[in-house]
Amino acid sequence: MPADFEDDSATDDTALIARFGGHGIDRDSAAHFRGRLERRLLIHRCDDCGRWHHPPRPMCPACWSWNITPTEVSGRGRIHLLMTLHQGPPASGVDYADGHPVVTVELEEQPALRFTSTVADGFPTDRLEIGTPVTLEWVDRDGTPTPVFGLGEDG
Amino acid sequence: MTNRDPMKDQVAIVGLGSTGFTRNGDESPLAMALRAATEAITDAGLTAADIDGVVATSEPAAKGPEEIAAALGITEATHHAKPSPVAMFSLLDAARAVFSGAADNVLIVTPVVMGPWNSRRAAADPWRAGTRSSILPIPEDATKAAAYAAWAGRYIHEHGATKDPFARIAINSRTNAANNPLAAVTEPLSFGMYDAGRMIRDPLNIYDMDLPVDGADAFVLTTAERGREIASAQGREAVLIHAATTGIVGKNDEDQLVGLDRTGQHVVVEQLRRTSDIWIDDIDLFYPYEGFTIITLAWFENVGFCPPGGAEDFLREHWNDDAQRLEISGRVLVNTHGGSLSEGATRGTGHIREAVHQLRGTAGDRQVDGAQSALVTPGGFFFNPQGAFLRRG
Repeated sequence: MPADFEDDSATDDTALIARFGGHGIDRDSAAHFRGRLERRLLIHRCDDCGRWHHPPRPMCPACWSWNITPTEVSGRGRIHLLMTLHQGPPASGVDYADGHPVVTVELEEQPALRFTSTVADGFPTDRLEIGTPVTLEWVDRDGTPTPVFGLGEDG
Repeated sequence: MTNRDPMKDQVAIVGLGSTGFTRNGDESPLAMALRAATEAITDAGLTAADIDGVVATSEPAAKGPEEIAAALGITEATHHAKPSPVAMFSLLDAARAVFSGAADNVLIVTPVVMGPWNSRRAAADPWRAGTRSSILPIPEDATKAAAYAAWAGRYIHEHGATKDPFARIAINSRTNAANNPLAAVTEPLSFGMYDAGRMIRDPLNIYDMDLPVDGADAFVLTTAERGREIASAQGREAVLIHAATTGIVGKNDEDQLVGLDRTGQHVVVEQLRRTSDIWIDDIDLFYPYEGFTIITLAWFENVGFCPPGGAEDFLREHWNDDAQRLEISGRVLVNTHGGSLSEGATRGTGHIREAVHQLRGTAGDRQVDGAQSALVTPGGFFFNPQGAFLRRG
């Protein structure tokens, strides 16, 4: 891990915004992105009704509770949406010539609770399809921990 | 949900203006807006002094209603608004202003402007550089435009569909654009060309995506009563907004949408069902949006031409192979102007303009004789599904 990661928990707002600007980070999603710096995938969960929602919002859309806790998920799920980009914004380690997969994963915590990213290097191409079980992994992109998905266990 | 529709047949579309659309534009967004606006006001037989409402879409880089009003020399306006840039947001805003009595003659101006976000040529244009964002987006994003490729993949997976119906939407568009002098691209498209199309976001290729263009449409709306007087004076048919709505589902974040079996398109269709006296067996023309071809397949299914997943069979069965276009039941033409895939990405204003031309009898070489009513369905799955029945009246 690069040296400038050692005190990530102390990253101030300006540095956090600079690092995740392309994601459209705002006050309501700041905790989610701070979690990434610790390699934890935090999804907003309601303390009162227990339901999850994403993208991060300040109030539970199911019960209007404001008691929201960004909570680590298991990282297990199945590919629900899949596309392969042949062009797109430049990004470190992303080669569009071969096609860059983007997967929306339905997380096991709740039906239709989904998180979008790509797959890990070496993901078997014959398993790159809707329905395949996946599990969360972390890679570095330009020094920033980035959540991706590797092949999960069937069952 | 409401069954009330006091606005039914009470508002007329009396003025049309369009710059036509181009991939090589060199005019300012204001210049394009003013060309379309002056044409539409003149087309309605009106002058700037008659316009007391101005609606201008919040298209990136475009001017607001205040600046449009100033540039047109409008005296005063009692309604001005800046709706989101998909056609029916503006059309409904203007219609409701007329119906409520907020204004008598409302101008709608809807420029579309190529930008650094959708065009390399635009990115190299110093006059457009100011619209460039300093924040680089990330590749792993299933929102905005990319969401349609992601859900197209899901549609193919769920229904075992092939790309054949996608190709038919694209080819129909290009065939019809050939007779539209406003269209940006008119070269015919074959199945072979479609299959060889450059893949952009697999499963969608270059022919599945609308064309970024420069240009503007404009409309003038007034009361049905005054619309009939204007139409009569011009020897045309009056065209009325019979039923119109927008619709969303609450859970509409693109990658969180529960499924394609319940989108804003369903909300739109159900609302039109409650309010319209016309339905799909009655219409003479159909204008489904095709910002992405998957949207069009969904509209065919959701308005009820075929069941979910049935677009592939339906489009094949209603395909005129000699003409290389869709003819529903051998009669109802689809996107007679070429739509967003060929005329250009007008966000649906082209569909409304063309429907009005057809219904009032000013569609030139594309005229469908005696067309009485049309269904127009702009918008996609998430934030902007919309629909309207337009009729002669």
